[in-house]
Amino acid sequence: MGFVRNRTRLLRTLWRAGPVPFLALFAVRLAERLVPPLAALALAALVTEIAPPRPDGPELFTAALVPVLLLALVLLAGHLGESAAAPLEYLVKSRVDGAHRSRVARTAASAPGIAALESPEVRRLLREVRADPDHGVETTPGDGAVAVLKWLCGLLGAVVTCAILLRYAWWAVPLVLLPVIVNRALRFRQSSAVTDRWRLAIKGEMHADVWRNATVSPAEGKDVRIFGLTDWLVERMQGHIREANEPLWTHVTRVIRLQWLSAVLMVSGLLPVYLLVTADAVGGAATVTVQTAVLAAGWSLFQSLGSALELHHMAGAARVARSTYRLRALLAEPEAIGGDGRAEPGTAVPDRVRVIRFEGVRFVYPGTDREVLGGVDLEIRTDELLAVVGLNGAGKSTLIKLLSGLYRPTSGRITADGADIAEMDPVEWRTRLSVIFQDFNRYELSARENVLLGAAARDGTAPGRRGADEEADLRAAAADAGFAPVLERLPDGWETPLARSRTGGVDLSGGQWQQLTLTRALYAVRRGADLIVADEPTAHLDVRTEFELFGRLAERRRSTGIVLISHRLSTVRRADRIVLLEAGRITETGTHEELMERGGAYAEMFAVQARRFRTEEEDPA
Amino acid sequence: MRRYPSLWWEVLRLSWRTVPGYTAGTLGVIAASVVSVAAVGLTMRATLDATARGSLVTALVGAAGVALAYTLTLVVQDLTDDCVNTVADRTGRLGLHPAVHRDINSVEGLEHLERSDFLDRVSIVRRSTGEIARSAWNALLSLSNLLKLLVTVALLGSVHPLLLVLVLLAAVPIWCNHRGQLLVQRAEVAGAEPYRLQQHLFETVASAEGGKEVRTAGAADRLVALQEEAWDDAVRVRFRARVGAALWNAAGWTVFVAAFAGAIALVVYRASVGAGGVGDLVLTVMMAVSLRQTMQSTVAATVAAAGSRRVVEPYLWLRAYVRAQRERAVAADPPPPVLGRGLSLDRVDFTYPGTDRKALDGVTVDLPAGAVVAVVGEYGSGKTTLVKLLLALYEPDSGSVRLDGADLAGISVPAWRRRCSAVFQDFGRFRIRFGETVGIGDLPRIDDADALGAAVHAADAGGLVERLPEGMDSQLGRELGGTDLSEGQWQRTALARGSMRADPLLFVLDEPTASLDAHSEEAIFRRYADRARVYGKRTGAVTVVVSHRFSTVAGADLILVMDRGRIVESGDHRELLARGGTYAELYGIQARAYAPGSTG
Repeated sequence: MGFVRNRTRLLRTLWRAGPVPFLALFAVRLAERLVPPLAALALAALVTEIAPPRPDGPELFTAALVPVLLLALVLLAGHLGESAAAPLEYLVKSRVDGAHRSRVARTAASAPGIAALESPEVRRLLREVRADPDHGVETTPGDGAVAVLKWLCGLLGAVVTCAILLRYAWWAVPLVLLPVIVNRALRFRQSSAVTDRWRLAIKGEMHADVWRNATVSPAEGKDVRIFGLTDWLVERMQGHIREANEPLWTHVTRVIRLQWLSAVLMVSGLLPVYLLVTADAVGGAATVTVQTAVLAAGWSLFQSLGSALELHHMAGAARVARSTYRLRALLAEPEAIGGDGRAEPGTAVPDRVRVIRFEGVRFVYPGTDREVLGGVDLEIRTDELLAVVGLNGAGKSTLIKLLSGLYRPTSGRITADGADIAEMDPVEWRTRLSVIFQDFNRYELSARENVLLGAAARDGTAPGRRGADEEADLRAAAADAGFAPVLERLPDGWETPLARSRTGGVDLSGGQWQQLTLTRALYAVRRGADLIVADEPTAHLDVRTEFELFGRLAERRRSTGIVLISHRLSTVRRADRIVLLEAGRITETGTHEELMERGGAYAEMFAVQARRFRTEEEDPA
Repeated sequence: MRRYPSLWWEVLRLSWRTVPGYTAGTLGVIAASVVSVAAVGLTMRATLDATARGSLVTALVGAAGVALAYTLTLVVQDLTDDCVNTVADRTGRLGLHPAVHRDINSVEGLEHLERSDFLDRVSIVRRSTGEIARSAWNALLSLSNLLKLLVTVALLGSVHPLLLVLVLLAAVPIWCNHRGQLLVQRAEVAGAEPYRLQQHLFETVASAEGGKEVRTAGAADRLVALQEEAWDDAVRVRFRARVGAALWNAAGWTVFVAAFAGAIALVVYRASVGAGGVGDLVLTVMMAVSLRQTMQSTVAATVAAAGSRRVVEPYLWLRAYVRAQRERAVAADPPPPVLGRGLSLDRVDFTYPGTDRKALDGVTVDLPAGAVVAVVGEYGSGKTTLVKLLLALYEPDSGSVRLDGADLAGISVPAWRRRCSAVFQDFGRFRIRFGETVGIGDLPRIDDADALGAAVHAADAGGLVERLPEGMDSQLGRELGGTDLSEGQWQRTALARGSMRADPLLFVLDEPTASLDAHSEEAIFRRYADRARVYGKRTGAVTVVVSHRFSTVAGADLILVMDRGRIVESGDHRELLARGGTYAELYGIQARAYAPGSTG
């Protein structure tokens, strides 16, 4: 009985809106749904008063006054209920959706590794269950929840209508009700099929998204203009859209064509009862009261078992619920982190990590067969500046992902002061690290929040978390990262939102953002991180700023280790130790001088970069 | 407000061209809905009157009529929803969607993509083509509701002229509803900022890209808490407005129901003095009930219309903007087939719209035909702006860009662009097949294997192609079932794309190797330098390299040093070093860093 289970599940989600709005909405919807049968009853009462044989003159008028008032009251109740339903429904729906979105976000963040989030199926599911109607015509759990409530109230309305039919004859009830049930069951199946086909269209729509996004991106936009892509890309995009939606559209057209069947079912439900009750009324076997009530109320059964939209929303929300369940299962799987997922977190993280070792680490990205790392042995000390250099694709960024536990090694292990990090609580382990990714996050939040989020795990979630200490740490981190001058120019200092789309917000340049992420990292260090891991942290800075910044970073290396990934060998040479990563292995280790002396691949790389400078110097004009 | 009706008319015509069958069908269903309003009331009156008279056949025909009338009403109700949704969706996706994307992409400048207030509107429009199409059909539904009101009026008037007053009173709830909707509309705008914020936070937490740092920093709990806060902010504002609107509605309906009760009392009174009977009473009640339904759907349509302002206003703005841009771009002269003298900038001033600092300030410079020109300078000095003007992505505020002395403003932009190629610092990452992402650099040769191979070689991307699962046919982007590329690999796709065109007059490389390793950088620069020489000889092509890495520009024929929108030094490497200015200083910093024995 998936039908019943889905509905009870939807009803349960309603409780997330809070009992008061939920019960209020229930009451209001019920009042609204009782209007058609009750209005029919009031009308019938009125007809009884004025149908012949009837008293004449003022007696009639006074006798009819009660049903008139009754009718007015019923209608008024309906209208007031409807007015109240709008805000209540909005509140309930929004609360359900808000709670759902938070849960989905938490679920997405709950997998310790990143492999699952990178898988195409998870991405598709996330898109399907994100419950963001701003982004399209998707059905949300909130839609489903309020629809199921409306539907339930409709059922209660139907009970009253059936009672009216019962006053005429018992067999009138099944006579009307059967076609109603067939009709709605048909419609519900069609709605489910529409939802299924809509899901199938998502994949093609994602291909179309490439061009949709290119249309509003200044980066892709430049290529589009220089290379004259407009017509080609529009054709391409529309091709994807047509191809993806064809099955959906064919089905929708069929559903619409099938409306004649609905019409036939309605006529077959209403016609016999309406004819019989009229014949009986003319013949005197039934009163005109019963006749009026049956005629006025009978049809509403076809409405009370759910409108097309309600059915569509219920079907859609049930689908979202199933997909959310599937998403949660996928993210909880052990391979969500990659590797063999063997160990349960059990080992304590050392208070102050001194040495991290990669021991024979091999790594293959899930779903591929190329070995990115092929047996890496590497020691990282938290009192030195270690530079990792290598060609593009040598595996440098993968090294960071393994170190921070976003993936687990396919074989081999990574230890911190001797203990395998795979056996540690990943959240706890990561508080010892401060990672600057090449594509770092640019939160559309205040400058303060942007920095604080670097050490969120330690600071907790309360706003204004740490008072005066926080201020001091922020100020010191900003000064160290060279962010202070940028900060001074922000209109509202630390509280300035870093996005122009926010009120009073500003956009930072690429270089300014890099200074902010360094502030973020240095703040994390002040909050207890032992090691900074930075992937090309100065690529967008100009020569002078990069030079100064590196100096400041290098000064702290006795208290905090630094792993620096960079192509700029002029920067790298000042490191305590340099390792060269080549085709997934470490092939050279040593100081700049040692490596230059050795005359290997590093020396060659350095020579290539230095050549132009050197030829000029050796050639004094 | 003539803009809206003419837009709606246009959308309806577009519907007709896009999905003629559906458009006709939907119009038919809407017409049927007007007819169905009268059907129930009239058949009910006939049935009950015949029953009272005891005339069996008439009563039975009437009862069958009632059944059919209700069926018609119900089916038309369902069909109206289905048809309007479908026709609006398909007109949106198949008609407006391509048109809007074509419009946005065919604007030759970049202002609408780089100014955030413009980009906001553009983004709304391209997401909302379905809603825009829907707004036209909502307008039509409103019109049909007006017709329904007229039909209702006529029928009520046939019972007693005094009942026409009911129609006047129907204006009260409609007016009240309008007042309430103004509140709701304002709240939509007020809630938009927190709503967008929670969208951004959700996408950050739930994406693989943002998820990396969210995990390493342990930021998920805080971010989700902020997301919830922003969501609640948006909902609170919008809920309050809806409560206000509900109060207006309740007031309006109370007035109307009171009037309605009066109307029925009037009919009952007439019955009590012997005029009219059961039939009239039933007709009145039925019409009043359907009046209520008509008003409800009028109200729903006005709500939808009010909501569609949010998307229609930006759409109208975009159309006006596109039209204005097209009118400006009337130049039709072709560019010269080869450059004899070269490109030049003559006293060019430029300020980005919406900012107040000059990005270029009186720039005058000659870029000789056949030369490799390097532009260096610190961040924000105007390097990229300079090349954007050369590529006609922006027009100078004053002064001119000249090709062999002819003003670029007089030359057809598409024709000029066909003779340009460029690799930008923030290049496009097109998640399509690898061969295509290169081949779109020269669309006519997108399938030309030799051209693709040469471009891949020029970008030193041969190794990358070998490692892709299906070589040139590999789909890019894991979310699309393909392969993800690293930053450096993406950069190679852009470089290869930039090498597709065979005979450019202008070739721009804007920080083209920021993410590449030393070997590739060296190899690529050597190849590009050779290429520049070949092009230069063949067509007098100018190659412009933008960089803040001095090692990459020393070999250029001409080096321009920029600072705060001005060219402060120019000459070749040797001249600039001898001069001992900014170039010499910044070059010195980098040279020392590579000097043997130096540790900084």
